[in-house]
Amino acid sequence: MMRKLLAALAILVVWEGVVRLGLVNPIILASPSGIGSALVTDGVPFLHAFRITVTSIAIALLASLSIGVGIGLIVGATAFSYAAFGPILSSLFAIPLIVWYPMLVVWAGIGPESKILFAIISSLIPVALNTAAGVRQIDVRYEQFGRSVGAATRTIYLRILLPFALPSILAGLRIGTALAVAGVIVGEMLTSTDGIGFWISYHRTVYNTGHVYLGMLLAIACVLIANAVLSHLERHFGAWRLDELANIAPA
Amino acid sequence: MTTAAAIEVRSLSKDYASSAGPVQALKKIDFDVPEGAFVSIVGPSGCGKSTLLQILAGLLSSSSGQVSVGGTAVTGPAPGKISFVFQDATLMPWKTAMDNVLFPLEIQRIPERERIRRAAHYLRLVGLENAAQCFPHQLSGGMKQRVSIARGLAQEPQIILMDEPFGALDEQNRIKMGHELLRIWEATGKTILLITHSLTEAIFLSDTVIVMAPHPGRILEQVDIDLPRPRTYDVIGSPAFGSIRNHLWRMIEIEPAEDEAMSTAPAL
Amino acid sequence: MRFRVHAVQAIFLACFLAVWELATRVGNVDPDVLPAFSTVLRTLADLVRTDAFLSNTAVTTTRVLLAFIIGAPLAILAGFYVGERTALNARLAQPLNVLVAVPQSMLLPMFILIFGVGNVQKVVFGITHIFFVLMLTTIAAVQSVPVNLVVAARSFGATSTEIYRRIYLIAMLPLLVSGLRLAIIFDVIGILLAEMYASQSGIGFLMMRWGEDYRMKELMAAVLLISVATIAFNEIMRMWETRLSAHARTST
Repeated sequence: MMRKLLAALAILVVWEGVVRLGLVNPIILASPSGIGSALVTDGVPFLHAFRITVTSIAIALLASLSIGVGIGLIVGATAFSYAAFGPILSSLFAIPLIVWYPMLVVWAGIGPESKILFAIISSLIPVALNTAAGVRQIDVRYEQFGRSVGAATRTIYLRILLPFALPSILAGLRIGTALAVAGVIVGEMLTSTDGIGFWISYHRTVYNTGHVYLGMLLAIACVLIANAVLSHLERHFGAWRLDELANIAPA
Repeated sequence: MTTAAAIEVRSLSKDYASSAGPVQALKKIDFDVPEGAFVSIVGPSGCGKSTLLQILAGLLSSSSGQVSVGGTAVTGPAPGKISFVFQDATLMPWKTAMDNVLFPLEIQRIPERERIRRAAHYLRLVGLENAAQCFPHQLSGGMKQRVSIARGLAQEPQIILMDEPFGALDEQNRIKMGHELLRIWEATGKTILLITHSLTEAIFLSDTVIVMAPHPGRILEQVDIDLPRPRTYDVIGSPAFGSIRNHLWRMIEIEPAEDEAMSTAPAL
Repeated sequence: MRFRVHAVQAIFLACFLAVWELATRVGNVDPDVLPAFSTVLRTLADLVRTDAFLSNTAVTTTRVLLAFIIGAPLAILAGFYVGERTALNARLAQPLNVLVAVPQSMLLPMFILIFGVGNVQKVVFGITHIFFVLMLTTIAAVQSVPVNLVVAARSFGATSTEIYRRIYLIAMLPLLVSGLRLAIIFDVIGILLAEMYASQSGIGFLMMRWGEDYRMKELMAAVLLISVATIAFNEIMRMWETRLSAHARTST
């Protein structure tokens, strides 16, 4: 632990020195002190922007999760629906997501709505595809079991099939989360009035490198937070799977 | 044993459409299962025994004919009346043994105290009262199947249908579970209809063995097993057992290798 | 079942196009906001005859190809190098995964600070998009080659080149092609993004400008063209992958 801290400190010192000594053009690389001063002068608007970005990401992910799981459950319900609609979803996923954005701005304006929609579209398909795949691989006997004990279809899906599909859903959510975070921030960079992406973009145009790097760090923080939440979810919901794999039961 | 039939099947047929043309999975199946009886169905792959069981359970519809359980026609699943035990236990891995047994009772809206009473009772009956809080991945194959049987019993059905319940177990455990099942059957008096690949298992467990053949799926013969009860493993080596088994085997021509292992195994 | 599957897919597509077409004709949708399918098709037909559109398409395609030609071999070589050396691979695994976890699109402003707004920046941006995904796929491909096959071949006296060619390559090809497919898609995303953000040329630039001018017909025409092109590309690559997988399974 101590070693890691010392190593980090050493990197910071070298980093600072490299920039101050002019070894690297200060426009290209901000020094730690440059980032620090950006935080001091414009900390408040940046944090406000951070909140907007994180809120947009959260809304987008919640929507994408619900819609994606819903679509995935329907597509994965039978072998036929999977064979028919699975390829359609995969093909849609091949389209470079960025091409949707200019249209969304025309339709939804330059506020956070267009970013949220863009993030939803970006993350929807991996969630849906993985949910469908997860449901497909469930032994058909579980559905028969549900029916044999008198469970309604909704109960079978929500209480028997969905838990089985959870590990797959979470895997899809991982991909979807990265795409949603990128979607919101990139959208803010392109056309926006606020949010981390907007501020990064603005400060780049006036060569406030310190501010740009501060923004980048906050953007990366968004990614790390999202991943941490996901890991927590995975541990909570996938726990029985991990246990299952870890223990080979006696014959 | 009363003479009232728990299961009545009359002229049951089931046809499928397949890429190779129409397939007659079952043709004019006729049989009765008396209440409290233990009946096995044997036959080679493709003879329709699984299909038959699923139709009896109300999980599959028939093409023609009548099926009734306890006097009423089967039109769909009959929870609380018919329990189905699947080949691979089909337990939910994220629930404990106790919660697995409780699940169908919850669905069937049995009040909570009664649910817990039944679950505890039947887990004890199958010998797993100490494993109630274990998860399926902590249990052996035989234990998982016992949980599945407890789950079936807890619904206090009139009949229990079992589709190759011991298929996933190795031979030692199959023998043990066979004994267990007989003990449970004698303690509860339920009507049991069981599908198995093993002639030996079928003869050992049952009052009657129904022999089926494929193309189309049909009943060849119903053989009453006149061996005395309670049955222990020694009976498998007896000449009476052997002649019944040969009789059945000749009817079906199952690979001798598969069954020979069981019949020449030393008595426990 | 195959026939029914394709029939359902065709019906689904037809319904989608029908709704799109009728939204403005029969529905209350403003044709300036959502032009009908037929309008978009007509616009596309006109566009592909205009010099401006064609030259911008050429510019974008050139950037994409350039990034690929430079980045793909680098990525494959790097992947091969790391994949072969298990110790190195183990040590790099964690930092690589962290790097990949950060969506590269977000780093565009940094690239502009470093490289400016010219073609170099765009191509380099595309290269980074290609690099990591293809390198990781190559590493996985190298590790997927069944070790016992290599050992068996050596015991028969096969030379190194023979082993590489007949065993490694065939076993790796399906995964490699899959990596190439992803790499090109990421490449296109990167280039388009860079063009949308800060550029005076390219399809991305055109699309942004059309968006700002509310010229939905042209914008949707471009989206339609790109969508169809990438889906077609994707399907072709997928078919190739499947064929290579089957070949790998039978010949090794």
